[in-house]
Amino acid sequence: MRKLIPLAIAAAAIAVLPSAPASATGAIKCKPTPQSSWKTQEVLKAKLVKEGWIVRKSKVDGGCYEVYGTTPEGDRVEAYFHPVTLEKLYVARRGEVLFRKQGY
Amino acid sequence: MRTILNKKLTFWLLLSLPAFLLVLGWWQGRIDSMDMLHPTGEWSARLMIIAMALSPLVSLLGAKPWLNWLVARRRAFGVAAFGYALLHLIFYLIDMGNLDDILAEWMAPGIWTGWAAFGLMLPLALTSNDRSMRWLKAGWKKLQQLVYPAAILTLLHWIWVHNSYAGALVHFVPLGLLVLARFLKKPLSQMKPLGV
Repeated sequence: MRKLIPLAIAAAAIAVLPSAPASATGAIKCKPTPQSSWKTQEVLKAKLVKEGWIVRKSKVDGGCYEVYGTTPEGDRVEAYFHPVTLEKLYVARRGEVLFRKQGY
Repeated sequence: MRTILNKKLTFWLLLSLPAFLLVLGWWQGRIDSMDMLHPTGEWSARLMIIAMALSPLVSLLGAKPWLNWLVARRRAFGVAAFGYALLHLIFYLIDMGNLDDILAEWMAPGIWTGWAAFGLMLPLALTSNDRSMRWLKAGWKKLQQLVYPAAILTLLHWIWVHNSYAGALVHFVPLGLLVLARFLKKPLSQMKPLGV
């Protein structure tokens, strides 16, 4: 019995490890849309800057545009936008969800 | 060769290798300040977990040469965990760039937990030396038990700042199971004289 406990623990630990998804990126996902219909990240950045954002970094994540920056309200956030409509879908400050569009 | 490998200094150099590579990448402009946050935090948590896993492992497996080798370096793991946490904090400050932004978000769940974990790790690192051990006597061990709340805060910081469980749990579940196993083992070994 005493020998079984560490063995069971080791087995449980090994079982737990691979069950976690290898890439847990992407707070939200956008339905796949043809890249040809996407607006460019530059267009999104220009739009956001005009609205008062400070854009520090942007990339494609989960089929959406993901932007790191500061909102016009002064919150340091990670935000997701639709690549075709550039609609705001999700805003989180350090993991705390500030805005989430219905259905996302 | 073997004596060089077994030198404490060699081990310190080994533990600081990831930090060296990360800072080099940042210095050369390959890694953004923002992107320094995750790896430095993850290394800090890993080293903390290793330091904390050693005594449950010894109590479960008994004395083993490889375990003794690691236990002899437990202080290095703990201090290095703090070193990476400090690096993590420094890059957070660099990335934020101004006090207003830092104050504006300190109460976010993913942020205050990080500050609190760092606050608890600080006295642990400062007293990780022979002089402090002699000076604090029995109180030293009590003080070092702050590592448990520090680990829980680190786990929460990781989960909340990413708003996801996967990465944090992959790291902390094995430690949790080991600590649990040690607790479960105690009453069993006390029962042993009754059996056989």
